[in-house]
Amino acid sequence: MRVRLRIPRGLYARVRDDLARRHEFAYERVGFLSARLGSAASDRPLVLLNDYHPVPDDQYVDDPTSGARINSVAIREAMQRVLDAGTGAFHVHCHEHRGRPGFSSMDLEETPRVVSGLRVAGPAQAHGMLLLSSDHCVAHVWMPGSDGPVVAAGVSVVGYPLGLFD
Amino acid sequence: MTDGRFSRQSFLGENAQGVIERAVVGLTGLGGGGSHVVQQLAHLGFLNYRIYDPDAVEDSNLNRLVGADNDDAAEGTLKIEVARRVIKGLRPRAVVDGYAQRWQDTPEPLRDCDLIFGCVDGFGERRELEACARRYLIPLIDIGMDVHVVGDEPPRMGGQVILSMPGGPCMFCIGFLNEITLAREGERYGDAGARPQVIWPNGVLASTAVGLAVDLLTDWSRSLRRVVYMEYDSNAGTVKPHMRLQYLGDEKCSHYPLDQVGDPRLN
Repeated sequence: MRVRLRIPRGLYARVRDDLARRHEFAYERVGFLSARLGSAASDRPLVLLNDYHPVPDDQYVDDPTSGARINSVAIREAMQRVLDAGTGAFHVHCHEHRGRPGFSSMDLEETPRVVSGLRVAGPAQAHGMLLLSSDHCVAHVWMPGSDGPVVAAGVSVVGYPLGLFD
Repeated sequence: MTDGRFSRQSFLGENAQGVIERAVVGLTGLGGGGSHVVQQLAHLGFLNYRIYDPDAVEDSNLNRLVGADNDDAAEGTLKIEVARRVIKGLRPRAVVDGYAQRWQDTPEPLRDCDLIFGCVDGFGERRELEACARRYLIPLIDIGMDVHVVGDEPPRMGGQVILSMPGGPCMFCIGFLNEITLAREGERYGDAGARPQVIWPNGVLASTAVGLAVDLLTDWSRSLRRVVYMEYDSNAGTVKPHMRLQYLGDEKCSHYPLDQVGDPRLN
């Protein structure tokens, strides 16, 4: 299965702007993107990101061992949005460097736990985690009914210009 | 990364050729306009194509169908095979998925494209194609031409190139499509007869469209930042931004909201 993500450039810019804001104690910010499926029945499904939900300042936990740790309220609200809107949800954060970013070991250990909650709330949708760098992005995607994530074959930023990230 | 063949287009940017070669392009309609577009994309080095046209070459196509010859008309070669031959002649390792049918009958491959060229006839076809492109977040570059004859005046020949970007103004927003023109077209359906077509306006429109696509992918000009609606006046020999763009207010589209993207569903 070859999964690709698309995000409108205006939304992408909104995410970047929000994640770049300084927090009182968290080293980095996180947020959640809403996602809908396209060509879901094919072997080349699309994940279409169409809205963004920042995590409010007071939903971060002061934990010096983590770049950003969010509390249960933030996770519960993300799950509620999945239930209310019937959309998928993607956890998103940014590593500020150039080039293809890589999820940290802590990302790979902790974020899937958040995703598992999202999958319970919306089992028919795609969920996952998106990681930005200053000029690139990558994603892991849990498709409905799958046993685990797949690395997205590409992420397209749809706008002027058109960004194609493999 | 460029090889000798593409050294003259290296000014497009350090990574431009890589982007061009990775991009998946869709073409609906491989007649007078689409055949020009295919040829130029192949020369530029594009490697991934999803092409649609249900028709075979006829003798009446040969005044404008780039790549087709007398044998194709005599043998009734499918237009997708003519396009494939043109592409493979320049880029043997290109992946050309051809569909000798309407795109609506097998839409999945089209949804997989990074960019679509709409080279279709009629307003209704354009509305359907734009709706699909919006739903799956795909930029659409539409081209079309027409000839109008009024009274004893010389024929007026013109056309348009529109770059429709998801989230931005659509063909309804910019006034190219409206319910009146769609309704009139519906009333004339089946009674249109053979529409006038010649090769050079298609060449102008296709070249303009391909130029937009390359700029969109490579950002070489760093100036393409909003909806494009170019108006071609063949009698005057001009291609210029349509005057309606001056009166375009909000850059957002109310016809195709982002919360409607993805596969249609009931809840």
